[in-house]
Amino acid sequence: MPQVDNLTLEKELREIIAKIVEIEPDKITLEAKFVEDLGMDSMMALEILAAMEKKYRIQIPEEKLNMLRSLKDAVKLTREYL
Amino acid sequence: MIDIEEIKRLIPQRYPFLMLDRVVELKVGQSIRAYKNISINEEYFKGHFPDAPTFPGALTAEAMAQAACLLLKKSIPDLKATLFYVTNIKIRFFKTITPGDQLHIIIKTIKMTRIGGVFETQALVNDEVAAKGEMTFACK
Repeated sequence: MPQVDNLTLEKELREIIAKIVEIEPDKITLEAKFVEDLGMDSMMALEILAAMEKKYRIQIPEEKLNMLRSLKDAVKLTREYL
Repeated sequence: MIDIEEIKRLIPQRYPFLMLDRVVELKVGQSIRAYKNISINEEYFKGHFPDAPTFPGALTAEAMAQAACLLLKKSIPDLKATLFYVTNIKIRFFKTITPGDQLHIIIKTIKMTRIGGVFETQALVNDEVAAKGEMTFACK
């Protein structure tokens, strides 16, 4: 897969998250906490993880699910497995 | 092949809500194919609909969820969870399913974990797609 820059990654992940959580993309700041600020639950986080894997053709271990707490974490986690 | 007795050992649903008769193919961690024979004797056909018995779409979704549970249980044998709750579902229905049909359910894993899974789902009748979609469920 061609190298994706951080800004593109952030934009694409924001769109993925917005679709799953059903909120406006601009509410998903880099620092916004998924649970506390965006009302997400653990199964939505699992769907986001699955969507990240599908979009970037990567495999992220289940244990990493707990680290997925914000868009910033999602960017970092995706980058780690790209 | 997984028969009805083993299905009952693996998932908690019972009559009148057991929506699978047999599993015919299982690839641990990846996919499962199971079927249900649709019989006019089913109670819900009295009301859905009196003059045009049609297998409810909601029960097709339930059959998909049960097959996905079986796949999860067979893929993670030491999983302690006994109950499963659908948390998200998106299914499009293409064909009506009627008494006499054999409803085949095919589930493919998108992401499977100990807290639940995300699955691609498909329902076939005579090898034609009757419904397909995606579902997520949690294990408790």
